[in-house]
Amino acid sequence: MSPLSALRIDDLAVAFDDEIVLDGVTGTVAPGESLALIGPNGAGKSTLIRAILGLVEPVRGSLTVLGVAPAEARLDVAYVPQSDVLDSEFPISVAQVVLMGRYRRIGWLRRPQSSDRATAMAALEQVGLASRASDRFGVLSGGQRQRVLIARAIAQQAKLLLLDEPFNGVDSTTQELIVEVLAQLRADGVAIVMATHDLSVAHLACSDACLLNRHQIAFGPIVDALTAETLQVTYGGHAVELAGGSTIVLPHGH
Amino acid sequence: MRFLVDSFTAPYMQRALIQLMLLALLTGPISVFVLLRRRSFMADALTHTVFPGVAIAFFVDQSLIIGAAIAALLSVVLLSFGLRVRRVDGDAMLIVLIGGFFSVGVVIVSRGRSFASDLNALLFGKILAVDRADIVATVVIALIVLLAVSVLAKEFITVAFDENAATAWGLPVGRLDLALNLVIALVIVASLKAVGTVLVVALIIVPAAIARVCTERIGPMICISTLAAGIGGWVGLAASYEASIRYDVRLAPGATVVLILTVGFGAAAAISAAFRRRSRAASQRLANV
Repeated sequence: MSPLSALRIDDLAVAFDDEIVLDGVTGTVAPGESLALIGPNGAGKSTLIRAILGLVEPVRGSLTVLGVAPAEARLDVAYVPQSDVLDSEFPISVAQVVLMGRYRRIGWLRRPQSSDRATAMAALEQVGLASRASDRFGVLSGGQRQRVLIARAIAQQAKLLLLDEPFNGVDSTTQELIVEVLAQLRADGVAIVMATHDLSVAHLACSDACLLNRHQIAFGPIVDALTAETLQVTYGGHAVELAGGSTIVLPHGH
Repeated sequence: MRFLVDSFTAPYMQRALIQLMLLALLTGPISVFVLLRRRSFMADALTHTVFPGVAIAFFVDQSLIIGAAIAALLSVVLLSFGLRVRRVDGDAMLIVLIGGFFSVGVVIVSRGRSFASDLNALLFGKILAVDRADIVATVVIALIVLLAVSVLAKEFITVAFDENAATAWGLPVGRLDLALNLVIALVIVASLKAVGTVLVVALIIVPAAIARVCTERIGPMICISTLAAGIGGWVGLAASYEASIRYDVRLAPGATVVLILTVGFGAAAAISAAFRRRSRAASQRLANV
């Protein structure tokens, strides 16, 4: 049975140490859709991602991932961290990092087969870094590392990708490349959830948006959800529309 | 260079060499995983926490290996619980355990009559007293540890490289770390008689450190690390024998092995730095052309 929604959240609340840190989240993400999680630091974006991964239990409401409980969906969910949290001195090649995406499908006690290597190589090709396969991961630029981590998620053949600030510290060429790769994945029916604070990229890369500041402010198609008013509520300041359609938010007093 | 062969005519020297080569097979690969997972300090702590077990076993005339194994297991378990104390960080918790366990060991040893020499043997090892039973025990431990590590290698590497993604994939990170700690404990137990509780940590860290400055790949790192541990053991043992027999300079064999490894690390680091400078200069010249 193919699930109708990649992600279905219904009145979700999550707590840490008995304190509610995220509350009232309701919405769905269908296969092929891409959701931007937008909000200030500490707004609960990471908490929501952790809940989707089944690493924190909701205190209220429900959450289904690909039609099942989050913990049961992990094989089909790929988490793409920010590349700069990884040790750049780690002695591992680009190809090995991508192959890591196969490890859970390979399972315990077994070694990667040539088919796994082929899948990893194809994924690396898709992000345009096949020629760097044998380089050490750490010698790549930040943007290239981010693309390698996306290739790892592609190699995992995940149906839902969770990205943590994928455009942080990334130059505009890489940004275009990443947006393009994500669009290809969406065309293949992969759903995407990304935490981002870059509103213009969110418009480019996402079909939907969820605005959070410890509770949900808006959730829906990005053109409806991401407005000057919702941004103002989310960030508690003034939202300013810039030439070209992008919006910035100024804190109070500016 | 003949001393590298000639030193090993006596059976006790042969047994010592066999023991050190077995330990190289064991510590070579393990040290790479310890380094990658940044568990050096943990390994150091465990070398101290096995001490009371060894001391108790020594005084009740039981197998040192069993005593060390019990103390190591106990400290790994205690540490797993200790790390859950939120207000005290992991490093501080390790120190609490090191201090507690080590002082228990010293108190026990100090009650014996031959305090100084006993303490010496426990702390710095007695490689020349290695017997057949020690070698058999090392073989058994090596089989268990190498099997565990080869089976869990890809999971260990995943956790070491990207703990967040490993958690997201549902890998049991805590249990994998516990497994690695148990492996470290077993390696310490196996190495105890050869180099003692103080120097054993060098065997578990230095080979991988040498390998890391020589290569940027995990596979070759494991090979180089094992080779370095083997060469260090062989040369160190032969050198200490040669020095004491021919030149009447008594060098403690365990410490000499560690010294050779440490010098090896210094040399490897210096050579690799020189190579990097040269290749940087070469690429700059190319860029200028």
